[in-house]
This record gives sequence, structure tokens and C-alpha cells, in this order.
Amino acid sequence: MSKPVLNKMTEPLLLSKSKRDAVTLKNKNDTLKGMKAFFTEVTSLTFFTGRFFKELFQPPYEFNELVKQAYLIGNKSFYLVAITGFIMGLVLTIQSAPTLSQFGAESWLPAMVAVSIIREIGPVITALICAGKVGSGIGAELASMKVTEQIDAMEVSGANPFKYLVVTRVVAATLMIPVLVIFSDAISLGGAFMGVNITGDVSFSLFFSQVVEAVDFADVFPAFIKTFFFGFIIGLVACYKGYHSNKGTEGVGAAANAAVVMASLLVFIIDMIAVQFTNLLINY
Amino acid sequence: MEATQNATVVKMAHLQKSFGDNEVLKDISLTIHKGETVVVLGKSGSGKSVLIKCMVRLLDVDEGKVSILGSDIFSLNRKELNLLRMKIGFLFQGAALYDSLTVRENLEFPLRQSGKPREEIDALVMEVLQSVGLEDAVDLMPSELSGGMRKRIGLARSMILKPEIMLYDEPTTGLDPITAKEISNLILEVQKKYNTTSIIITHDIQCARITANRMLILNNGVFVAEGAFDELKKSEDKLVHSFFE
Repeated sequence: MSKPVLNKMTEPLLLSKSKRDAVTLKNKNDTLKGMKAFFTEVTSLTFFTGRFFKELFQPPYEFNELVKQAYLIGNKSFYLVAITGFIMGLVLTIQSAPTLSQFGAESWLPAMVAVSIIREIGPVITALICAGKVGSGIGAELASMKVTEQIDAMEVSGANPFKYLVVTRVVAATLMIPVLVIFSDAISLGGAFMGVNITGDVSFSLFFSQVVEAVDFADVFPAFIKTFFFGFIIGLVACYKGYHSNKGTEGVGAAANAAVVMASLLVFIIDMIAVQFTNLLINY
Repeated sequence: MEATQNATVVKMAHLQKSFGDNEVLKDISLTIHKGETVVVLGKSGSGKSVLIKCMVRLLDVDEGKVSILGSDIFSLNRKELNLLRMKIGFLFQGAALYDSLTVRENLEFPLRQSGKPREEIDALVMEVLQSVGLEDAVDLMPSELSGGMRKRIGLARSMILKPEIMLYDEPTTGLDPITAKEISNLILEVQKKYNTTSIIITHDIQCARITANRMLILNNGVFVAEGAFDELKKSEDKLVHSFFE
């Protein structure tokens, strides 16, 4: 008789009771360890956020470094955001056109694309791109400074590295990502205009008037406000991951990676909360 | 004058520091007087860098006291600690120059909040650069410097606030023997020029020979020997002798 083939699915069923208990105990311990690590991370990030707000309002202020970081975040991300924004507007328009034409609603295309871009797609996609570009950059930079003792060197020279490195970068990200979103939205609408003209013939003034007519204050304002939160969370998470990195050069890559993953996830969570909150306000 | 030179600058009492189960410093007591150059010699992993980091509160201790220039550093608040740190220069193992700043900006960094006029800052920058013989490197980026130049600029940066105490963490590690000797001589020159009290952490016996007034040997978290270079060189203790072979 041939020996039964064991795999990871069937193996635990054939274990003795004591072995099954040991496996269960190990799984429980792993779960507890995971939960402990999660709550430790949340607590640590909360303290980090608290320290940020404390240091933000206490002099001395690092205006020169803030301006430098704002320039770096805005300038270095602009072309990437512009290209993706343009493609986003173009593709969204081309993809939506056939569906709308089935309902004979092709004339609604500029309005539908504008509302989609301004309300949701523009802010979220731009924030995700910035989470990748800005978040990984800040995370890797601070982690590298930590590993090479540059942060320690600042500390022993009597400077405040948290204020110089963290506060400036978080504020710069909070201020610059809304600006990038505005640029991205505008360029996306440019892409949408081109998309509309691939299949039809719409003048710029007609396209522009349809966009302005479709978009109102309730679309623009909440979408704009949430971009500040996106910027804040991208800057904060990237600084947190970089500032608390360890394990030498391996930690630099890990910090950059974790900064991008965590910031991207939090962008979606903030977006979900913002949408719910906006709906509540509108209904109220 | 004699009384001033004998003033206690650093006093450590029964220092203990562990990382988890690993006891790095077990019972460290040390007194250093003004103008002394003390070299702490020890194998890799013996706790030398931990000791020097505890002296500026980059690491907290589990037990014991550290008094620097009469202040117990573990009882100071952040502002008081920063003021005290401005009287201490620290040369890190890899020099720890700020990668994104030029040499000039690196040197100016500790002076940013000092309120000194531009001309005075420029003069201070050139003075410390002359002390380390690298005036021409003022506008270079750290990535354009060799290992020896990085150490020199790191030394210049730690000297710019005219500290009373200089701490050197492995100043010659990673350098070729000729550059290592140059750095050791430079430490000696700086010590004489600015009359600083120096503590040098190293495992480089040549550096110790050139710079030390007094040497201590750290092993397994405790000082196992103390004395002048020539005294320790004559020691028959196997561990002490091994450093001089």
C-alpha cells in the first residue's frame, strides 16, 4: 500500500493530541506577539505625533530648512505628478466615453470626469504617488542619517534633530501635497480635454464651461481639505519610520518600504473617513 | 593654575548598562581632570562606544551617575542638557558629516542658533578648517571627501564651539597607518591649541601612544588596568600585554 501524501493542509490532522496542542499554543503565541507589536507601534506613533505638535509651536523655528524641504518635495515630485495626472485624465475620459455613449449621455463626459478627478481620483492618486516618492525619500534619508550617527551628531552638538528633521519635513509635506494635488487636477482636466477631443470635437471654452458648471463648492472644498491630511500623514509616517529605524543598512531599505506601505494604507483610511464625514455634513 | 588643571571635569560612578540580558558596562568608575588626555583601550564589543555615548546621554544608564563639568547629566532637563552638550565636542567613528550639506554648512550647523553675525561665523569656519589643514575643502560635499578628510572635517565641526571636553570614538578606525598617524598627531595639536580635556576610545595602540596621558583598558564591562603608556606596556598581564604586541 502506498504511503499517504502529506501536505501542509493534511499534516495537522494526523498529528497526535499533544502535538496539536503545541501547534495551537504556538499559533496563539504568534497572534499575541503580532497584537503586541501592533499596539506598541500604534502607541509609539501616537507619542511621536504628540512630540511633533509640541515641538511645532516651540521656538526656535527652522524656517530655512522648512523652505528647503517644501521646495524639494514640490519641485522633485512635480513632473511625476504632472505626467501621471495627465495620463489619468486622458485614460479616464477614453474609458468612460463608450459607456456614456450607450446611454446617449456623451455630453456629460466633461462634467463626469471633472467631478471624479476633483472629488476623488486626483487627490488619492496624487497622494499615493507622493507616498511612494516623498515617503520613501524621507524614510530612507532619515534612516540613513540614523545608521551613520548623523542624528546623534546633531543631538550632541546641542541642536534639536527632531525639530530640524521631523517638524520641517512633516510641515513641508502637509503644505506641498495640496499644491501638487491642485496642479495634478488641472493637468488631469487638460488630459480629459484631449481625451474628449479624440472621439469628438469639443472646444476648450465649451469643455471649460461644462466643468465649471458641474463642479461646485461641496466638491472642491472637502477634497482640498483632505489633501492636507494626506500630506500630514505621508510626512509623519515617513519621518517616524526613518527616525526609528535600526538594524544598520538593512534598516534603511526596510524603513523606506514600511513608510510607503503604511502611508499608502493610511491615505485610503483617511479618504474613507473624509468621504463619510463629507456625506454626513452634506446630509445634515 | 595647578588647582585649575586639577579640577575634575568628568566623574563617573558605578556605571551599569545592559541591553536585554547583555551586561555591557558592569561597574565603571572614572575621574578625569582638566587638560588630561585619557585613552580607553579595549577589544571590539567591550563596551567602549557605549561608555562614551553614556557620557553625553545619547544612551541612558541602568545604574550609576555621570557628572560632567559639575552637572549630573541624567538630572538635567533638555535645555540644560543642550547647553552642557555645547561644551562637549564629539568626533564619531564615521565622522557623521551631514550628507546633504556642504563642508561649510556642516561646520556652521552647531552655530545656527547662536545669533553670531555672518562675518564671525565665516571667521570661525576658516579658523577650524585651518586647524585641520583643509581650507580648500570648504565648498565640497561630504561625498567628495576621502576617509581621512572626513575625519578632519568631523574634528573641525566638533571644535567649532570651542568645547572644554573632546570625546573621540575610534578616531583612526578605517584609516591607513599614515593617515591614522596624521589624525593622532592632529588630535594632539588640537588638544594643545585649545587646552581641551580629551577622552579617546580606540583599539589603535599607535593612536594611544601618541595622544595618551593616561590609559585604561576595558574588558567585559570593567576597567582591568590603568596607567601611563609605558607602565602598561611593561605589564605582565596577558590581556594588557596583548594590546602591545
